[in-house]
Amino acid sequence: MTDLWPRLARLLAQAERPARYINHEWGATAPVPGTSYREPATPDLGLGASITASGMSAPVPGVYRFCMVYPDTYELGQPNQALRILCKAVNAQEGMSAERAFLPAPDFCDLMRQEGLPLFSLEGCAPLAQFDALGITLSHELVASNILEVLDLAGIPLHAADRDDSHPLVIGGGPVAYNPEPFHLFFDAFSLGEGEESVPELLHEHRRCKQAGMGRADTLRRLALVPGTYVPSLYVGLGQEEAQARGTWLVPAPRQDALSREAPRQDAPCQEAPRQDTLSRDTLSRDTVPVFRRRIFTGFSQSPAWEPCVVPFIETVHDRLNVEVLRGCTRGCRFCQAGMIYRPVRERPAEQIVSAVLEGLEATGYDEVSLTSLSTTDHSQIAAILTRLNQACEGKGIRISIPSQRLDAFGVSMAGLVAGRKKGGLTFAPEAGTQRLRDVINKNVTEDDLFNAIDAAFAAGWRHCKLYFMLGLPTETDDDVKGIASLAQRAYDRAREAVPPGMRGSIKMSVSCALFVPKPHTPFQWDGQIPPDEAMRRVNLLRSSVKYRAITVNWHDPATSLIEAALSRGGRECAAWIEGAWRRGARFDAWSECFNAQTWEDAAVTLGFTPAEAASRSWDTAFIPPWSHIDCGVETGFLRRERQRAALGQTTPDCSFGSCEACGLCPRYQVEPMTQEPRKEASHE
Amino acid sequence: MSEAQAFRLRVTFRKSGRLALLSHLEVARALERTVRRAGLPFAVSQGFSPHMKIAFGAALPVGVGGTQECFDLYLTRYIAPEKAREALEAASVADLMPSSCEYLGNKAPAPSVAYPVSTYLVELAFLPKKGEPGGTEDKEPGRAEGLNKPCVSAELLVPPETVLVKRKNGEKELASADFLVGPLEGEGNMLRFSLRAHASGSLRVDAFVAALLAAHPDLEASAITRIAQRPV
Repeated sequence: MTDLWPRLARLLAQAERPARYINHEWGATAPVPGTSYREPATPDLGLGASITASGMSAPVPGVYRFCMVYPDTYELGQPNQALRILCKAVNAQEGMSAERAFLPAPDFCDLMRQEGLPLFSLEGCAPLAQFDALGITLSHELVASNILEVLDLAGIPLHAADRDDSHPLVIGGGPVAYNPEPFHLFFDAFSLGEGEESVPELLHEHRRCKQAGMGRADTLRRLALVPGTYVPSLYVGLGQEEAQARGTWLVPAPRQDALSREAPRQDAPCQEAPRQDTLSRDTLSRDTVPVFRRRIFTGFSQSPAWEPCVVPFIETVHDRLNVEVLRGCTRGCRFCQAGMIYRPVRERPAEQIVSAVLEGLEATGYDEVSLTSLSTTDHSQIAAILTRLNQACEGKGIRISIPSQRLDAFGVSMAGLVAGRKKGGLTFAPEAGTQRLRDVINKNVTEDDLFNAIDAAFAAGWRHCKLYFMLGLPTETDDDVKGIASLAQRAYDRAREAVPPGMRGSIKMSVSCALFVPKPHTPFQWDGQIPPDEAMRRVNLLRSSVKYRAITVNWHDPATSLIEAALSRGGRECAAWIEGAWRRGARFDAWSECFNAQTWEDAAVTLGFTPAEAASRSWDTAFIPPWSHIDCGVETGFLRRERQRAALGQTTPDCSFGSCEACGLCPRYQVEPMTQEPRKEASHE
Repeated sequence: MSEAQAFRLRVTFRKSGRLALLSHLEVARALERTVRRAGLPFAVSQGFSPHMKIAFGAALPVGVGGTQECFDLYLTRYIAPEKAREALEAASVADLMPSSCEYLGNKAPAPSVAYPVSTYLVELAFLPKKGEPGGTEDKEPGRAEGLNKPCVSAELLVPPETVLVKRKNGEKELASADFLVGPLEGEGNMLRFSLRAHASGSLRVDAFVAALLAAHPDLEASAITRIAQRPV
């Protein structure tokens, strides 16, 4: 592998933050298995030791090299959990190594192009094009243009079809891969679901194919047999009418070359794992399209909560120790994709979490730990965990944080346990302004829950509170929008009552509004987004309805939400749109200072594509969506039932607290919710 | 107060190799985490937002290394300096490595002001010409070790009269003579000089070197290292 460091080093004087690109952080792994960066990188003690000295050991031939790519800058990508977990999982494989790569800041991308320097990995500073495989994590729709920026900067053909045996295998994964169709042209394969086991399996199979000298087409057919893998080039997309008639958007692509006759080797790890239900060698050649099941890491609860991690030099978005305490959330909010695709709930034991935090703090030197999950305060042992951590960290200047606050007094008392004397802000997400709409979306909280939480928080010393809402939810009326203002104002009144008269001036309350973006695999997947001008009308209605000057109202730019909605529910036609926008300069669309709606509009006009229509279309629940061949575990029948209950304003309880609501996951995937103790709803006193 | 009883440990470390590219703030954060990893009994401030009692030395610009950098760490109990050094060493990355520890009285000046005079060593190299392989793919520049390295000429030992520096509130011309301590010395491709910081401000070494090399477009500073710090 080429070491680009000497060339990169010359450019770093012009970088805004060189530390983004230099690797060598505490915990960084060496690109050669069995070596470490702690061996002196610069043996010559200082006397003019040049920055350009590479300090790298020579790569060992025969090692399979994988690179995890986060398609945004280091600050956003380094804290990403998937990146850490998958690098660790691949590095643990015999004869495999995993490195990290991020997209440089926009200016530096330009400078690299000007200098002809290709995109590089951090650990080995090697060109991405020289790796065996790349894993690109897709955490939200707006990374679309950055995927192409990554591939182009790496000198890898943008289209999977244009790649040959010399190019790396490009794999996509993450929540956005649950509707992979808008990205089908750019990826050789998608890995669906949790990658702890499936990504190493996929890479082992790829290595075997390479060792056998198999061509790319045959290799892709072999990889398609690894459970959880979807190879889009094996299928041809259909038009909407035909898709609805056939019940699927895909048909198998005509065979261009015969599938290798060699039988799969029996020692392959993928042979030990359950096979994809309907996918076998035979079905590949027949006129059917299998359903691609996501992978679930069933060993999660028993797996270690602390794993060595990189400690960045520069300040990143979540610059602290992250300990994942549980996975999955079944509260069942009907707009929430995470609540569907990470099921079932799996808790790690309190004992293990506490020791993982202490061990992790000691090993990394962090002074803050976040207990991460989709709903940390729902952990059945959360009170015991926080109490024990508090005692253990006493007097060490350690901060313990919980990412999301459950909306009730219990959530506040848990937050109080870890806040110490320094109480920043608390964030609550009622999501909708009226009880009617909260029932529609299955946000099982009442006004009293919110007011009890506010009472408890402001009495306990908090002075700032942020309330999250969504505008444009299905069935929303002007009364619901005004309801947000009313709820916020009454919450403010409650806060004032809970605070001593002399300190009321310091109360701050803000309302943040996101625009509803319909997501695949949710009960609202058939619902359209409201158009941007209607969104702005509702924002203005809300702003004029808030009469208290102490309450500030923030909202998201509807133009970016429209792109998100068009992509999230789009089909294969979106790929050309993404490419067109990128060719017109779109990149870093998630950064408001870089987002340029014009690039997307112009690209759409050229293609005769209307994003506004794609974003706002509503379908009947009988409609087969473009991702119908992807199985996230929750059955479509359950989603339909939930959509009907939404229309009736009926709520559905959380199965991790009580009875099964028959989403269909557990019997089909042979899994079940795993809580350490029975979960109990907090009483509302 | 616990501070009064704290043991004040001055730690000398180096900032070398590619970690010379860290900013002062990044170095400070990395050192705090090193101290925590080392498991030393550091003192914690008693304020509203408790934090480690640690004081850093004079800042180095991004891209400038140092072999004798220092910080003061306040400990709640005595740890033999050699033991403290070993613990820190085991918790450090290779290019941000402590070399020694010693206890100081609480009245000694803070490390940021204790050593106003800094001695720098600058390694000079030829800039690769356009289209030449210098520093391109697969090739270590390593020009310093190669035959093709520049030699410090008498001309290079004459400091620029003034140095234009950019500051937040616009540009300012500083007179080199106000900051230079002693003459510039050269040996091979190495240049050595000392700059003095004043209470009113200091002259950034990278700005000084850039001004010095302004008349030599074929040369670049391939490394700038602070090799010593001392009182006036």
